[in-house]
Amino acid sequence: MHYKFGEPAGRYIGPGGNYHVYSSTISDVPPEGFEELPVHKMAPGEFNFQYGPSTGGLVESAGLQFITPGEMINSVQVDPTYKTRKLKMKGLDIERAILTVERINGFHASSNTIAFILAVEEALGMEPDEEVQKARILQLELERIRSNFEVLKRMGEPAGFGVPVNQIGFLRERVSRIISKAAGHRFFFGVNSPGSALISNSGLNEKLSEIRKEFDRIFSGLLQSKIFLNRLQNSCITKGKFLTGPAARAAGLRYDAREDSDSLPYDETPFVPVVHEDGDIFSRMIVRGEEIFNSFDIISSLGTVRETPGIKVEKGTGEGSARVESPQGDIFYYVKVNNGTLEDVWYVTPGTLNVRAFMESMKGNLFPDFHFNWESFGIWISELGVEIQ
Amino acid sequence: MFTYLAIAILGISALAGVFWRPGAYAGTIIGSAYFILSGFNPADQMSYFVLIASLVWIIVSLYSMSYDRKYGKWLAPSLALMIMGMMIILQSTNYLLLITGWEIMSVPAYLIVGLNRRESSPAFTFMMFSEFSTILIIAGSVYAFFVTGTLSFSYVSSYGPLLLISLGAIIKMGMTPFMISEWLPIAHGNAPANASAVLSATMTLMGVYVIMKMILQSPDNMGVGYLFLAIGSVSILFSSIYAYISENMKMLAGFSTIENNAAILSAMGLYLVASTSVLREFIFITIIIFALAHSISKTGLFLSIGNSPGEFFGQSDHPTSYTQRVGTMLTTMSLSGLFPTLGGLATWMLLESFFMEAYSGGATGITAIVIGSLIAMGEGMAMGSMMKILAFGNIFRRKLETKQEPNHIIISGVGLLLIFLFGISVLIVSGTFLSGIPSILIFNGYMITSRFGPADFGLISPDYILILITVFSLVAYAVFRKPRLREVPVWNGGAVEVDSYTSFAFSNNIRLMLKRLLRTKTGSLGSSVTVIDVFWLLMTDIGKGYKAMSKFITLRIMNSSIGWYMIYMIAAFMVIMVIAVKM
Repeated sequence: MHYKFGEPAGRYIGPGGNYHVYSSTISDVPPEGFEELPVHKMAPGEFNFQYGPSTGGLVESAGLQFITPGEMINSVQVDPTYKTRKLKMKGLDIERAILTVERINGFHASSNTIAFILAVEEALGMEPDEEVQKARILQLELERIRSNFEVLKRMGEPAGFGVPVNQIGFLRERVSRIISKAAGHRFFFGVNSPGSALISNSGLNEKLSEIRKEFDRIFSGLLQSKIFLNRLQNSCITKGKFLTGPAARAAGLRYDAREDSDSLPYDETPFVPVVHEDGDIFSRMIVRGEEIFNSFDIISSLGTVRETPGIKVEKGTGEGSARVESPQGDIFYYVKVNNGTLEDVWYVTPGTLNVRAFMESMKGNLFPDFHFNWESFGIWISELGVEIQ
Repeated sequence: MFTYLAIAILGISALAGVFWRPGAYAGTIIGSAYFILSGFNPADQMSYFVLIASLVWIIVSLYSMSYDRKYGKWLAPSLALMIMGMMIILQSTNYLLLITGWEIMSVPAYLIVGLNRRESSPAFTFMMFSEFSTILIIAGSVYAFFVTGTLSFSYVSSYGPLLLISLGAIIKMGMTPFMISEWLPIAHGNAPANASAVLSATMTLMGVYVIMKMILQSPDNMGVGYLFLAIGSVSILFSSIYAYISENMKMLAGFSTIENNAAILSAMGLYLVASTSVLREFIFITIIIFALAHSISKTGLFLSIGNSPGEFFGQSDHPTSYTQRVGTMLTTMSLSGLFPTLGGLATWMLLESFFMEAYSGGATGITAIVIGSLIAMGEGMAMGSMMKILAFGNIFRRKLETKQEPNHIIISGVGLLLIFLFGISVLIVSGTFLSGIPSILIFNGYMITSRFGPADFGLISPDYILILITVFSLVAYAVFRKPRLREVPVWNGGAVEVDSYTSFAFSNNIRLMLKRLLRTKTGSLGSSVTVIDVFWLLMTDIGKGYKAMSKFITLRIMNSSIGWYMIYMIAAFMVIMVIAVKM
């Protein structure tokens, strides 16, 4: 197995199962300074403002408890467990397990599925061919474009930007339709299996080129709105080391699984990590915007991607792990396969570090910053509220 | 001779109060009522101060009958003695009586603050500022004696006595020149509510009275007027901000007192710089109406606060009765400058005065518009602090108490009195500013017209407002009847946990927005938001510096050394000789 159990080595990816995953190893030792965030002691005048789990401003059900003396947030706790799903995966064969993995977070189904399948392939000693790996990169970058569109759209909503919000929403829908045509399903369901990816990029680049132009125009417009930028700049700064994905790269950390994980051959693409230094909401937004353009470049560099039909997977035994860069950060899967069935499986979601970073970044900021900040991390509660059985 | 009978009654009441508490209050009521009968003359505008103060004393005494049981036997006599001092001030015909009354008023107040608290600092704070005020009044009186050759009140050709005595009175009103200090909220906030009402409503009124008396017998001086405007406008802004962020209800009311007195001081400053005699007359009436509105409203507010088991908003979770809510609502409306209460009229007249002066143009006009705007800002902030005390002290998450205590009725009575006074306010205003528009049923004499010359500037008809509100309310009630209320459980985002919005959170926006001004500090984990009163900090630093200097002189220079003592005696002798020769 590529990832060895042992002492911590490399940057911290996050907790999963009973372990802590680092960029090079899996360890049962947490990183220094990663203890539980201290519980805020209520000071006189403060009160607990409950937001969610069922409220208009949140897409998913999350309970947020803001402790505030009024206006300013002194502490926030996020409870993602209101709709915890208990997913049975252990004991399932690989084919059945993929169906479940796809549904852990439907919007990011390809990131989860590809990481899971790469881990399974390692466990079974399979070597995916170059065409399949290209198809996987294509999926991940399409998913990244759509996901970043969604984040940018949601960031515009609290500002009341009806026009750009709907324009970006429409671009997101156009990308979904392109995915649907290329893969047969707009969330890549049923596309991936070990050694196979049922997606082609026939006629895709021309359509994406139009979307790129459209987005360039809208994004430039957004960056010219002083009111919008004033709200985002210097707000909710986080620069800690326990960051992942765009939040990390917005804080000056060159953390990207596309660069420091060899699960997929990104070194053959024009991938460039987008790094900004300020760590505020604006930096997270600009990182996502620029990553969209980079994803377009990566997709257009892939050449022809053809559907690679499914292959029969031999019932094997072994353990494997893999890490890919989802739109929100590192997704890591560990699997232990015994005679073709899953004996053990656990994963690391970027949401864990993003929620922690969100909670820290809110301190000392105002409630009006909350929605912008929450969306800038692109947190998906569906990935967090899962118990794998 | 009969004029002094009221003072004698209060003296006897103070003595009686040592043995029989209700006797002191009954005596105060009788004495105050007699004081009105003997001292109030509608034609004499200065005598309105007698009416205002006496009304407050009567209300407070009625309230105190059942209030002060927990405060021991010294509260009632001290209160009576303090009121007696104020009566002496209002009846004084010379500087000696004024100073005597000033001290008789101050010493029992010190006793009340001191006996009420375990800590000695509020009483000492009060005493320190009180005595500083007395020293300035004595200095002003001596100056006036040297100028006029008599201790009796008469025209003084120099503005020096006006300046000195006014500065002394300003300190008593809670303002220290060019800044506010929180001595008044500390002192008034640490007294029992009935005493706080007398301190805030009438002790500060004595300051207004003395300044006005000195203005009327001094030459016009623009410099003093601008000084009053500067002190008033700065104080009104800061005190309204500090009131808004205060978490102690009594201290909030204390800051509100400074804010109102600062508004009156600004009006007195405007009186001194006003360009026309018509405007000056209008301003004088404004001062009286503002003083009346403030005194009655502040009394109601302190009495309402007195019904709370604690002084902090966080401790205020007791049930409140409907009558108390109505009374508190009307008093806070008045202190917010809202119609149909007397405070609404007072605020309108004050702002009209400044806007009229703005029409004169030049430096005075610009000053008037700037200070008028500052006052308007202060009034806006005051509305916020009053809504805070109304909501968090009486309504928000409070159970409704069905049992009516006599004090609740007194509080609601004060609120209704403010509406009544609003209705009859045309009786206070001189005929120059009364008119009417019979074509729309505002009969002559029922409309107050602001003017600084022959032409009208603005107008208002208190009775018309009252009638309109009453008629429309009755019509709405007749048509729609009592609205059908539907109560539903609180939806808290689907979570069970329910916490309450706090008064601290209500005013935290200002703490954060004005963080440079208020020196707001946001603590790290486990602490909250704190502000520093820079003025009070400066005051305490000056105090500490003075103490250090005294210690240095005591130990190093005047340390029983006969040599230094001789040098001091010789130097003092020479200074006195020089002064004597010069004079």
